Amino acid sequence: MTKRNVFTLFEILFWPLVAFLSVGLLAEFAALQPEMKAFIMIGVISMSAVQVCQLDVAYALLYDVWSKAIKHGFAAPVGIRHLLFGSLIVGILRGGSVFVILVVASYALFGFNFALPGALPIALFVLGLFLSAAMVGIFVCILVLMFGNRAEVAAWSLVSLMLLLCGVYYPVSVLPAWVRVLAEVIPLTYFLEYFRLFYGFPPIFSHVLLKGYVMVIAYLVVEVYAMKAALRRAKRTGLLLKLSE
Amino acid sequence: MVVTFAIEAKGLHKTFVSGWFRKRIKHALRGVNLSVPEGVFWGLLGPNGAGKTTLLSIIANLLIPEQGEVYVLGEDLRRNAGAVRRRINLSSGHANFLWSLNVRENLEYYAMLYGLSGNERRQRVDDLLALFDLQEFARVRFEELSTGTKQKLSLAKSLVNDPALLLLDEPTVGLDPDVAHRIREAIRRLHRERGTTILMTTHNMKEAETLCERIAFIKDGRIKAVGKPQDLKDELRLGDTISIAFNGTVQAEALRSLQGTYEVQMSDSLCRILVDDHRKRLPQILEFFMGRQIFIHDLRIQESDLEDVFIAYTK
Repeated sequence: MTKRNVFTLFEILFWPLVAFLSVGLLAEFAALQPEMKAFIMIGVISMSAVQVCQLDVAYALLYDVWSKAIKHGFAAPVGIRHLLFGSLIVGILRGGSVFVILVVASYALFGFNFALPGALPIALFVLGLFLSAAMVGIFVCILVLMFGNRAEVAAWSLVSLMLLLCGVYYPVSVLPAWVRVLAEVIPLTYFLEYFRLFYGFPPIFSHVLLKGYVMVIAYLVVEVYAMKAALRRAKRTGLLLKLSE
Repeated sequence: MVVTFAIEAKGLHKTFVSGWFRKRIKHALRGVNLSVPEGVFWGLLGPNGAGKTTLLSIIANLLIPEQGEVYVLGEDLRRNAGAVRRRINLSSGHANFLWSLNVRENLEYYAMLYGLSGNERRQRVDDLLALFDLQEFARVRFEELSTGTKQKLSLAKSLVNDPALLLLDEPTVGLDPDVAHRIREAIRRLHRERGTTILMTTHNMKEAETLCERIAFIKDGRIKAVGKPQDLKDELRLGDTISIAFNGTVQAEALRSLQGTYEVQMSDSLCRILVDDHRKRLPQILEFFMGRQIFIHDLRIQESDLEDVFIAYTK
Protein backbone atom coordinates (compact mmCIF):
# COMPACT_ATOMS: atom_id res chain seq x y z
CA MET A 1 0.00 0.00 0.00
CA THR A 2 2.83 2.35 0.74
CA LYS A 3 5.46 1.25 -1.70
CA ARG A 4 5.04 4.29 -3.94
CA ASN A 5 4.44 6.68 -1.11
CA VAL A 6 7.49 8.90 -0.71
CA PHE A 7 6.47 9.72 2.86
CA THR A 8 7.18 6.11 3.73
CA LEU A 9 10.86 6.68 3.09
CA PHE A 10 10.76 9.74 5.29
CA GLU A 11 9.09 7.77 8.05
CA ILE A 12 11.50 4.84 7.92
CA LEU A 13 14.74 6.66 7.23
CA PHE A 14 14.65 10.41 7.32
CA TRP A 15 12.82 11.35 10.51
CA PRO A 16 14.29 8.57 12.70
CA LEU A 17 17.81 9.30 11.46
CA VAL A 18 17.40 13.05 11.93
CA ALA A 19 16.11 12.55 15.47
CA PHE A 20 18.81 9.99 16.24
CA LEU A 21 21.67 12.09 14.86
CA SER A 22 20.44 15.26 16.57
CA VAL A 23 20.24 13.55 19.94
CA GLY A 24 23.53 11.68 19.41
CA LEU A 25 25.41 14.82 18.43
CA LEU A 26 23.89 16.74 21.33
CA ALA A 27 25.13 13.99 23.66
CA GLU A 28 28.61 14.28 22.13
CA PHE A 29 28.56 18.06 22.43
CA ALA A 30 27.47 17.86 26.06
CA ALA A 31 30.28 15.35 26.64
CA LEU A 32 27.94 13.05 28.55
CA GLN A 33 29.22 10.15 30.59
CA PRO A 34 28.93 6.81 28.72
CA GLU A 35 26.04 5.63 30.93
CA MET A 36 24.14 8.90 30.35
CA LYS A 37 24.74 8.56 26.64
CA ALA A 38 23.42 4.99 26.84
CA PHE A 39 20.30 6.27 28.62
CA ILE A 40 19.57 8.71 25.83
CA MET A 41 20.50 6.33 22.99
CA ILE A 42 18.10 3.68 24.32
CA GLY A 43 15.41 6.33 24.47
CA VAL A 44 15.83 7.72 20.98
CA ILE A 45 16.15 4.30 19.29
CA SER A 46 13.12 2.94 21.13
CA MET A 47 10.91 5.91 20.39
CA SER A 48 11.75 5.84 16.68
CA ALA A 49 10.81 2.15 16.44
CA VAL A 50 7.62 2.70 18.46
CA GLN A 51 6.61 5.70 16.34
CA VAL A 52 7.03 3.86 13.01
CA CYS A 53 5.28 0.71 14.24
CA GLN A 54 2.33 2.55 15.81
CA LEU A 55 1.85 4.61 12.66
CA ASP A 56 1.55 1.42 10.62
CA VAL A 57 -1.10 0.08 12.96
CA ALA A 58 -2.96 3.40 12.73
CA TYR A 59 -2.54 3.38 8.95
CA ALA A 60 -4.77 0.29 8.88
CA LEU A 61 -7.61 2.80 9.08
CA LEU A 62 -5.98 6.09 8.17
CA TYR A 63 -5.08 5.15 4.57
CA ASP A 64 -8.69 4.11 3.99
CA VAL A 65 -9.96 7.27 5.67
CA TRP A 66 -7.66 9.50 3.61
CA SER A 67 -8.70 7.68 0.42
CA LYS A 68 -12.37 7.85 1.49
CA ALA A 69 -12.51 4.11 0.86
CA ILE A 70 -13.13 2.92 4.39
CA LYS A 71 -16.59 1.50 3.63
CA HIS A 72 -15.13 -0.92 1.09
CA GLY A 73 -12.78 -2.33 3.70
CA PHE A 74 -15.56 -2.84 6.23
CA ALA A 75 -17.96 -4.18 3.60
CA ALA A 76 -15.48 -7.01 3.03
CA PRO A 77 -15.50 -10.04 5.35
CA VAL A 78 -12.60 -8.70 7.37
CA GLY A 79 -12.75 -8.55 11.15
CA ILE A 80 -11.04 -6.18 13.54
CA ARG A 81 -8.55 -8.90 14.46
CA HIS A 82 -7.50 -9.36 10.80
CA LEU A 83 -7.11 -5.64 10.38
CA LEU A 84 -5.03 -5.16 13.50
CA PHE A 85 -2.94 -8.29 13.20
CA GLY A 86 -2.09 -7.57 9.56
CA SER A 87 -1.14 -3.97 10.24
CA LEU A 88 0.90 -4.97 13.30
CA ILE A 89 2.95 -7.38 11.19
CA VAL A 90 3.71 -4.57 8.74
CA GLY A 91 4.46 -2.29 11.67
CA ILE A 92 6.86 -4.80 13.22
CA LEU A 93 8.66 -5.23 9.90
CA ARG A 94 9.05 -1.50 9.36
CA GLY A 95 9.61 -0.61 13.00
CA GLY A 96 12.10 -3.49 13.20
CA SER A 97 13.96 -2.09 10.18
CA VAL A 98 14.21 1.32 11.85
CA PHE A 99 15.36 -0.33 15.04
CA VAL A 100 18.14 -2.30 13.30
CA ILE A 101 19.29 0.73 11.28
CA LEU A 102 19.53 2.89 14.39
CA VAL A 103 21.23 0.20 16.49
CA VAL A 104 23.90 -0.21 13.79
CA ALA A 105 24.22 3.58 13.42
CA SER A 106 24.53 4.06 17.19
CA TYR A 107 27.43 1.63 17.26
CA ALA A 108 29.11 2.99 14.14
CA LEU A 109 28.74 6.68 14.90
CA PHE A 110 28.67 6.94 18.68
CA GLY A 111 30.20 3.68 19.86
CA PHE A 112 27.06 2.62 21.74
CA ASN A 113 26.73 -1.13 22.29
CA PHE A 114 23.03 -1.98 22.20
CA ALA A 115 23.79 -5.70 22.36
CA LEU A 116 25.26 -5.50 25.85
CA PRO A 117 22.22 -6.97 27.71
CA GLY A 118 22.22 -10.11 25.51
CA ALA A 119 19.74 -11.72 23.11
CA LEU A 120 16.87 -12.57 25.49
CA PRO A 121 16.62 -9.16 27.20
CA ILE A 122 16.80 -7.48 23.78
CA ALA A 123 14.04 -9.74 22.46
CA LEU A 124 11.83 -9.09 25.50
CA PHE A 125 12.49 -5.37 25.30
CA VAL A 126 11.78 -5.14 21.56
CA LEU A 127 8.59 -7.20 21.92
CA GLY A 128 7.50 -4.82 24.67
CA LEU A 129 8.19 -1.87 22.40
CA PHE A 130 6.09 -3.30 19.57
CA LEU A 131 3.22 -4.20 21.87
CA SER A 132 3.35 -0.64 23.23
CA ALA A 133 3.30 0.63 19.65
CA ALA A 134 0.30 -1.57 18.86
CA MET A 135 -1.44 -0.17 21.93
CA VAL A 136 -0.97 3.40 20.71
CA GLY A 137 -1.89 2.56 17.09
CA ILE A 138 -5.11 0.82 18.10
CA PHE A 139 -5.98 3.75 20.35
CA VAL A 140 -5.64 6.03 17.31
CA CYS A 141 -7.92 3.71 15.32
CA ILE A 142 -10.52 3.84 18.10
CA LEU A 143 -10.37 7.63 18.16
CA VAL A 144 -10.77 7.77 14.35
CA LEU A 145 -13.83 5.51 14.54
CA MET A 146 -15.29 7.72 17.26
CA PHE A 147 -14.41 11.20 16.05
CA GLY A 148 -13.57 10.79 12.38
CA ASN A 149 -10.85 12.69 10.53
CA ARG A 150 -10.27 15.09 13.39
CA ALA A 151 -8.72 12.30 15.44
CA GLU A 152 -5.92 11.58 12.97
CA VAL A 153 -3.75 14.12 14.77
CA ALA A 154 -3.52 11.54 17.57
CA ALA A 155 -1.34 9.38 15.31
CA TRP A 156 1.49 11.85 15.81
CA SER A 157 0.68 13.54 19.10
CA LEU A 158 0.23 10.47 21.30
CA VAL A 159 3.82 9.36 20.82
CA SER A 160 5.00 12.90 21.61
CA LEU A 161 3.03 12.71 24.83
CA MET A 162 4.73 9.42 25.66
CA LEU A 163 8.07 11.05 24.91
CA LEU A 164 7.26 13.52 27.63
CA LEU A 165 5.89 11.06 30.18
CA CYS A 166 7.71 7.74 29.84
CA GLY A 167 11.24 8.78 30.70
CA VAL A 168 12.67 8.61 27.19
CA TYR A 169 15.36 11.24 27.64
CA TYR A 170 15.27 11.56 31.44
CA PRO A 171 14.24 9.29 34.31
CA VAL A 172 10.61 9.55 35.40
CA SER A 173 11.87 10.43 38.89
CA VAL A 174 12.42 13.99 37.66
CA LEU A 175 8.74 14.37 36.82
CA PRO A 176 6.39 16.11 39.28
CA ALA A 177 4.56 13.57 41.44
CA TRP A 178 1.17 14.00 39.71
CA VAL A 179 2.76 13.59 36.25
CA ARG A 180 4.65 10.53 37.44
CA VAL A 181 1.32 8.90 38.18
CA LEU A 182 0.56 9.17 34.47
CA ALA A 183 3.97 7.67 33.61
CA GLU A 184 3.22 4.73 35.87
CA VAL A 185 0.18 3.68 33.83
CA ILE A 186 2.10 3.62 30.55
CA PRO A 187 3.82 0.26 29.87
CA LEU A 188 6.63 1.83 27.84
CA THR A 189 7.94 3.42 31.08
CA TYR A 190 8.62 -0.07 32.45
CA PHE A 191 10.13 -1.51 29.27
CA LEU A 192 12.60 1.39 29.04
CA GLU A 193 13.51 1.00 32.68
CA TYR A 194 13.96 -2.77 32.25
CA PHE A 195 16.46 -2.34 29.44
CA ARG A 196 18.37 0.43 31.19
CA LEU A 197 18.90 -1.81 34.20
CA PHE A 198 21.51 -3.66 32.11
CA TYR A 199 23.43 -0.41 31.73
CA GLY A 200 23.61 0.14 35.45
CA PHE A 201 20.76 2.53 36.06
CA PRO A 202 19.18 2.10 39.49
CA PRO A 203 15.54 0.91 39.34
CA ILE A 204 12.72 3.27 40.23
CA PHE A 205 9.99 0.64 40.04
CA SER A 206 9.96 -3.05 40.99
CA HIS A 207 9.11 -5.98 38.68
CA VAL A 208 9.30 -3.71 35.69
CA LEU A 209 9.12 -6.38 32.96
CA LEU A 210 6.16 -8.11 34.58
CA LYS A 211 4.33 -4.83 35.14
CA GLY A 212 5.04 -3.74 31.57
CA TYR A 213 3.73 -6.94 30.00
CA VAL A 214 0.68 -7.32 32.24
CA MET A 215 -0.26 -3.72 31.60
CA VAL A 216 0.28 -3.76 27.84
CA ILE A 217 -1.55 -7.06 27.33
CA ALA A 218 -4.46 -5.87 29.47
CA TYR A 219 -4.65 -2.63 27.51
CA LEU A 220 -4.53 -4.49 24.19
CA VAL A 221 -7.38 -6.81 25.20
CA VAL A 222 -9.48 -3.87 26.35
CA GLU A 223 -8.64 -1.95 23.18
CA VAL A 224 -9.69 -4.76 20.84
CA TYR A 225 -13.11 -4.83 22.52
CA ALA A 226 -13.23 -1.03 22.57
CA MET A 227 -12.46 -0.95 18.86
CA LYS A 228 -15.24 -3.43 18.12
CA ALA A 229 -17.59 -1.23 20.13
CA ALA A 230 -16.32 1.88 18.32
CA LEU A 231 -16.97 0.21 14.96
CA ARG A 232 -20.51 -0.73 16.01
CA ARG A 233 -21.04 2.85 17.15
CA ALA A 234 -19.70 4.19 13.84
CA LYS A 235 -22.18 1.94 12.04
CA ARG A 236 -25.00 3.18 14.26
CA THR A 237 -24.18 6.88 13.94
CA GLY A 238 -23.35 6.73 10.23
CA LEU A 239 -19.78 7.93 10.79
CA LEU A 240 -18.42 4.98 8.80
CA LEU A 241 -20.29 6.20 5.74
CA LYS A 242 -19.41 9.84 6.35
CA LEU A 243 -15.73 8.89 6.35
CA SER A 244 -16.23 7.49 2.84
CA GLU A 245 -17.82 10.64 1.39
CA MET B 1 -42.94 -22.25 -7.26
CA VAL B 2 -41.13 -21.33 -4.07
CA VAL B 3 -39.61 -17.84 -4.22
CA THR B 4 -36.38 -17.41 -2.34
CA PHE B 5 -35.44 -13.92 -1.36
CA ALA B 6 -32.02 -12.36 -1.67
CA ILE B 7 -33.14 -9.56 0.63
CA GLU B 8 -35.90 -9.49 3.20
CA ALA B 9 -36.08 -6.29 5.19
CA LYS B 10 -38.76 -6.01 7.84
CA GLY B 11 -39.73 -2.89 9.75
CA LEU B 12 -36.44 -1.05 9.33
CA HIS B 13 -36.07 2.20 11.23
CA LYS B 14 -32.96 4.34 11.01
CA THR B 15 -32.41 7.72 12.60
CA PHE B 16 -29.37 9.95 12.38
CA VAL B 17 -28.58 12.36 15.18
CA SER B 18 -26.14 15.21 14.69
CA GLY B 19 -24.97 18.17 16.74
CA TRP B 20 -23.57 18.18 20.25
CA PHE B 21 -25.76 20.68 22.06
CA ARG B 22 -28.69 21.31 19.71
CA LYS B 23 -29.31 17.84 18.46
CA ARG B 24 -30.78 17.47 14.99
CA ILE B 25 -32.65 14.28 14.30
CA LYS B 26 -33.23 12.92 10.82
CA HIS B 27 -35.48 9.92 10.31
CA ALA B 28 -33.90 8.21 7.32
CA LEU B 29 -36.04 5.06 7.35
CA ARG B 30 -39.48 4.73 8.94
CA GLY B 31 -40.53 1.11 8.91
CA VAL B 32 -39.21 -0.10 5.58
CA ASN B 33 -40.28 -3.53 4.36
CA LEU B 34 -38.73 -4.85 1.19
CA SER B 35 -38.46 -8.34 -0.29
CA VAL B 36 -36.18 -8.83 -3.27
CA PRO B 37 -36.37 -12.27 -4.90
CA GLU B 38 -33.14 -13.95 -5.95
CA GLY B 39 -31.97 -13.32 -9.51
CA VAL B 40 -34.02 -10.16 -10.01
CA PHE B 41 -32.66 -6.77 -11.08
CA TRP B 42 -34.31 -4.42 -8.62
CA GLY B 43 -34.35 -0.64 -8.75
CA LEU B 44 -34.69 1.59 -5.74
CA LEU B 45 -35.89 5.05 -6.73
CA GLY B 46 -36.67 8.13 -4.75
CA PRO B 47 -35.77 11.79 -4.30
CA ASN B 48 -32.62 12.99 -2.54
CA GLY B 49 -32.70 12.14 1.14
CA ALA B 50 -35.45 9.56 0.68
CA GLY B 51 -33.39 6.81 2.35
CA LYS B 52 -32.07 4.87 -0.66
CA THR B 53 -28.40 4.88 0.32
CA THR B 54 -29.30 4.29 3.96
CA LEU B 55 -31.24 1.15 3.03
CA LEU B 56 -28.43 -0.08 0.78
CA SER B 57 -25.86 0.59 3.50
CA ILE B 58 -27.87 -1.35 6.07
CA ILE B 59 -28.02 -4.33 3.70
CA ALA B 60 -24.24 -4.01 3.18
CA ASN B 61 -23.76 -4.04 6.98
CA LEU B 62 -22.26 -0.56 6.94
CA LEU B 63 -25.09 0.86 9.03
CA ILE B 64 -26.98 -0.67 11.93
CA PRO B 65 -30.71 0.11 12.13
CA GLU B 66 -32.42 0.97 15.42
CA GLN B 67 -35.28 -1.38 14.69
CA GLY B 68 -36.12 -4.10 12.25
CA GLU B 69 -34.64 -7.22 10.75
CA VAL B 70 -32.69 -7.87 7.59
CA TYR B 71 -32.16 -11.27 6.05
CA VAL B 72 -29.67 -11.34 3.22
CA LEU B 73 -29.31 -14.52 1.15
CA GLY B 74 -31.11 -16.36 3.91
CA GLU B 75 -28.79 -15.18 6.68
CA ASP B 76 -29.79 -12.96 9.58
CA LEU B 77 -27.58 -9.90 9.19
CA ARG B 78 -27.39 -9.31 12.93
CA ARG B 79 -26.13 -12.81 13.67
CA ASN B 80 -24.17 -13.72 10.56
CA ALA B 81 -22.84 -10.48 9.13
CA GLY B 82 -19.49 -12.08 8.23
CA ALA B 83 -21.13 -14.82 6.17
CA VAL B 84 -23.30 -12.24 4.40
CA ARG B 85 -20.35 -9.96 3.61
CA ARG B 86 -18.55 -12.85 1.95
CA ARG B 87 -21.41 -13.26 -0.55
CA ILE B 88 -22.36 -9.67 -1.34
CA ASN B 89 -20.53 -6.65 -2.68
CA LEU B 90 -21.24 -3.03 -3.45
CA SER B 91 -20.27 -0.33 -5.88
CA SER B 92 -21.04 3.35 -5.47
CA GLY B 93 -21.02 6.37 -7.70
CA HIS B 94 -18.15 8.80 -7.02
CA ALA B 95 -15.88 5.79 -6.50
CA ASN B 96 -13.02 6.10 -4.06
CA PHE B 97 -10.22 3.61 -3.57
CA LEU B 98 -6.70 3.67 -2.22
CA TRP B 99 -5.17 6.49 -4.23
CA SER B 100 -1.57 5.30 -4.09
CA LEU B 101 -2.36 1.90 -5.63
CA ASN B 102 -2.84 1.27 -9.32
CA VAL B 103 -5.89 -0.44 -10.80
CA ARG B 104 -4.47 -3.96 -10.60
CA GLU B 105 -3.18 -3.47 -7.05
CA ASN B 106 -6.52 -2.13 -5.90
CA LEU B 107 -8.30 -5.16 -7.33
CA GLU B 108 -5.69 -7.50 -5.83
CA TYR B 109 -6.03 -5.78 -2.46
CA TYR B 110 -9.80 -6.17 -2.35
CA ALA B 111 -9.57 -9.72 -3.71
CA MET B 112 -7.28 -10.46 -0.76
CA LEU B 113 -9.82 -8.98 1.65
CA TYR B 114 -12.38 -11.40 0.21
CA GLY B 115 -10.03 -14.30 0.87
CA LEU B 116 -8.66 -14.94 -2.61
CA SER B 117 -5.01 -15.91 -2.88
CA GLY B 118 -2.37 -17.09 -5.33
CA ASN B 119 -3.35 -18.05 -8.85
CA GLU B 120 -7.06 -17.78 -8.15
CA ARG B 121 -6.64 -14.14 -7.20
CA ARG B 122 -4.43 -13.32 -10.18
CA GLN B 123 -6.84 -15.04 -12.56
CA ARG B 124 -9.87 -13.28 -11.08
CA VAL B 125 -8.17 -9.89 -11.37
CA ASP B 126 -7.14 -10.63 -14.98
CA ASP B 127 -10.72 -11.62 -15.81
CA LEU B 128 -12.13 -8.45 -14.26
CA LEU B 129 -9.61 -6.25 -16.03
CA ALA B 130 -10.68 -7.86 -19.30
CA LEU B 131 -14.40 -7.72 -18.50
CA PHE B 132 -14.33 -3.97 -17.93
CA ASP B 133 -11.67 -3.11 -20.57
CA LEU B 134 -9.29 -2.01 -17.86
CA GLN B 135 -6.13 -3.78 -19.08
CA GLU B 136 -4.57 -0.60 -20.44
CA PHE B 137 -5.09 1.09 -17.06
CA ALA B 138 -3.83 -1.82 -14.98
CA ARG B 139 -0.67 0.03 -13.97
CA VAL B 140 -2.23 3.48 -13.64
CA ARG B 141 -2.63 4.80 -10.12
CA PHE B 142 -6.18 5.37 -8.93
CA GLU B 143 -5.71 9.11 -8.49
CA GLU B 144 -4.72 9.44 -12.17
CA LEU B 145 -7.84 7.73 -13.54
CA SER B 146 -10.75 9.49 -15.24
CA THR B 147 -14.12 9.45 -13.49
CA GLY B 148 -15.46 6.84 -15.92
CA THR B 149 -12.49 4.53 -15.42
CA LYS B 150 -12.77 4.90 -11.64
CA GLN B 151 -16.38 3.84 -11.97
CA LYS B 152 -15.41 0.82 -14.05
CA LEU B 153 -12.87 -0.09 -11.38
CA SER B 154 -15.59 0.25 -8.76
CA LEU B 155 -17.77 -2.21 -10.68
CA ALA B 156 -14.81 -4.55 -11.22
CA LYS B 157 -14.03 -4.43 -7.50
CA SER B 158 -17.63 -5.27 -6.69
CA LEU B 159 -17.23 -8.56 -8.56
CA VAL B 160 -14.00 -9.77 -6.98
CA ASN B 161 -15.89 -12.23 -4.80
CA ASP B 162 -18.39 -13.19 -7.54
CA PRO B 163 -21.24 -11.95 -5.32
CA ALA B 164 -24.67 -13.50 -5.22
CA LEU B 165 -26.06 -10.06 -4.39
CA LEU B 166 -24.70 -6.85 -5.84
CA LEU B 167 -25.61 -3.45 -4.41
CA LEU B 168 -25.18 -0.55 -6.82
CA ASP B 169 -25.54 2.96 -5.45
CA GLU B 170 -25.99 5.37 -8.36
CA PRO B 171 -23.42 3.59 -10.52
CA THR B 172 -23.54 6.08 -13.41
CA VAL B 173 -23.84 9.34 -11.49
CA GLY B 174 -21.60 12.10 -12.84
CA LEU B 175 -20.57 10.16 -15.95
CA ASP B 176 -20.88 11.48 -19.49
CA PRO B 177 -23.59 9.75 -21.56
CA ASP B 178 -21.17 7.58 -23.52
CA VAL B 179 -19.41 6.20 -20.45
CA ALA B 180 -22.71 5.84 -18.59
CA HIS B 181 -24.08 3.82 -21.51
CA ARG B 182 -21.07 1.48 -21.46
CA ILE B 183 -21.32 1.04 -17.70
CA ARG B 184 -25.02 0.29 -18.07
CA GLU B 185 -24.27 -2.31 -20.72
CA ALA B 186 -21.68 -3.93 -18.46
CA ILE B 187 -24.22 -4.10 -15.62
CA ARG B 188 -26.89 -5.52 -17.93
CA ARG B 189 -24.46 -8.17 -19.22
CA LEU B 190 -23.45 -9.05 -15.70
CA HIS B 191 -27.04 -9.64 -14.67
CA ARG B 192 -27.88 -11.58 -17.83
CA GLU B 193 -24.80 -13.81 -17.84
CA ARG B 194 -24.33 -14.46 -14.12
CA GLY B 195 -27.89 -14.17 -12.87
CA THR B 196 -26.67 -11.98 -10.03
CA THR B 197 -29.36 -10.36 -7.91
CA ILE B 198 -28.89 -6.62 -8.21
CA LEU B 199 -30.33 -3.85 -6.08
CA MET B 200 -29.59 -0.49 -7.68
CA THR B 201 -30.37 3.06 -6.69
CA THR B 202 -30.46 5.70 -9.38
CA HIS B 203 -31.87 9.10 -10.21
CA ASN B 204 -31.83 8.26 -13.88
CA MET B 205 -35.34 7.06 -14.70
CA LYS B 206 -34.44 5.88 -18.18
CA GLU B 207 -31.67 3.80 -16.67
CA ALA B 208 -34.08 2.26 -14.18
CA GLU B 209 -36.66 1.60 -16.86
CA THR B 210 -34.23 -0.12 -19.20
CA LEU B 211 -32.35 -2.15 -16.56
CA CYS B 212 -34.71 -2.96 -13.72
CA GLU B 213 -37.30 -5.71 -13.71
CA ARG B 214 -38.87 -4.40 -10.51
CA ILE B 215 -38.92 -0.97 -8.97
CA ALA B 216 -39.43 0.21 -5.41
CA PHE B 217 -40.21 3.87 -4.78
CA ILE B 218 -39.04 5.25 -1.50
CA LYS B 219 -39.87 8.64 -0.06
CA ASP B 220 -39.39 10.07 3.43
CA GLY B 221 -38.02 6.74 4.58
CA ARG B 222 -41.06 4.76 3.49
CA ILE B 223 -41.56 2.44 0.54
CA LYS B 224 -44.41 4.01 -1.44
CA ALA B 225 -44.82 1.46 -4.21
CA VAL B 226 -43.29 -1.73 -5.54
CA GLY B 227 -43.80 -3.39 -8.89
CA LYS B 228 -42.86 -3.73 -12.53
CA PRO B 229 -42.43 -0.38 -14.30
CA GLN B 230 -45.56 -0.94 -16.39
CA ASP B 231 -47.60 -2.03 -13.35
CA LEU B 232 -46.60 1.12 -11.52
CA LYS B 233 -47.78 3.24 -14.44
CA ASP B 234 -51.03 1.29 -14.57
CA GLU B 235 -51.52 1.63 -10.84
CA LEU B 236 -51.21 5.38 -11.04
CA ARG B 237 -53.36 5.42 -14.19
CA LEU B 238 -50.67 7.50 -15.84
CA GLY B 239 -51.31 5.90 -19.22
CA ASP B 240 -50.40 7.46 -22.56
CA THR B 241 -51.60 10.73 -24.04
CA ILE B 242 -52.96 10.77 -27.60
CA SER B 243 -53.23 14.32 -28.94
CA ILE B 244 -55.42 14.79 -32.00
CA ALA B 245 -55.92 17.97 -34.02
CA PHE B 246 -59.07 17.78 -36.12
CA ASN B 247 -61.58 19.71 -38.20
CA GLY B 248 -65.15 19.32 -37.05
CA THR B 249 -67.07 18.78 -33.85
CA VAL B 250 -66.41 16.10 -31.29
CA GLN B 251 -68.35 15.40 -28.13
CA ALA B 252 -66.01 14.84 -25.23
CA GLU B 253 -68.51 12.62 -23.43
CA ALA B 254 -68.60 10.21 -26.35
CA LEU B 255 -64.84 9.95 -26.32
CA ARG B 256 -64.79 9.41 -22.57
CA SER B 257 -67.09 6.43 -22.95
CA LEU B 258 -64.50 4.57 -25.04
CA GLN B 259 -62.91 1.62 -23.29
CA GLY B 260 -59.55 2.31 -21.60
CA THR B 261 -59.97 6.08 -21.62
CA TYR B 262 -59.05 7.83 -18.39
CA GLU B 263 -59.54 11.45 -19.32
CA VAL B 264 -60.38 13.71 -22.26
CA GLN B 265 -59.41 17.38 -22.56
CA MET B 266 -60.98 19.32 -25.37
CA SER B 267 -60.13 22.76 -26.73
CA ASP B 268 -61.51 24.03 -30.08
CA SER B 269 -60.05 21.66 -32.63
CA LEU B 270 -57.63 19.80 -30.36
CA CYS B 271 -58.28 16.99 -27.95
CA ARG B 272 -55.99 15.22 -25.54
CA ILE B 273 -57.05 11.70 -24.67
CA LEU B 274 -55.43 9.92 -21.78
CA VAL B 275 -55.65 6.17 -22.31
CA ASP B 276 -54.27 3.19 -20.42
CA ASP B 277 -52.23 1.93 -23.42
CA HIS B 278 -52.10 3.71 -26.76
CA ARG B 279 -51.29 0.49 -28.63
CA LYS B 280 -54.59 -1.01 -27.54
CA ARG B 281 -56.75 2.12 -27.81
CA LEU B 282 -55.56 3.95 -30.90
CA PRO B 283 -57.55 1.84 -33.41
CA GLN B 284 -60.87 2.49 -31.64
CA ILE B 285 -60.13 6.20 -31.36
CA LEU B 286 -59.29 6.45 -35.05
CA GLU B 287 -62.45 4.50 -35.80
CA PHE B 288 -64.37 6.98 -33.65
CA PHE B 289 -63.15 9.95 -35.70
CA MET B 290 -63.41 8.26 -39.09
CA GLY B 291 -66.90 6.96 -38.32
CA ARG B 292 -68.02 10.51 -37.77
CA GLN B 293 -66.14 11.68 -40.86
CA ILE B 294 -64.02 14.04 -38.80
CA PHE B 295 -60.79 14.93 -40.54
CA ILE B 296 -57.62 14.40 -38.46
CA HIS B 297 -54.75 16.60 -39.53
CA ASP B 298 -52.30 15.89 -36.72
CA LEU B 299 -51.84 13.04 -34.25
CA ARG B 300 -49.22 12.72 -31.55
CA ILE B 301 -48.62 10.07 -28.94
CA GLN B 302 -46.82 10.65 -25.70
CA GLU B 303 -46.04 7.59 -23.62
CA SER B 304 -45.73 8.00 -19.88
CA ASP B 305 -42.48 6.81 -18.41
CA LEU B 306 -40.93 6.18 -15.03
CA GLU B 307 -40.20 9.86 -14.69
CA ASP B 308 -43.95 10.49 -14.58
CA VAL B 309 -44.28 7.74 -11.99
CA PHE B 310 -41.43 9.29 -10.02
CA ILE B 311 -43.05 12.72 -10.11
CA ALA B 312 -46.42 11.25 -9.12
CA TYR B 313 -44.93 9.47 -6.12
CA THR B 314 -42.73 12.32 -4.99
CA LYS B 315 -45.43 15.01 -5.19
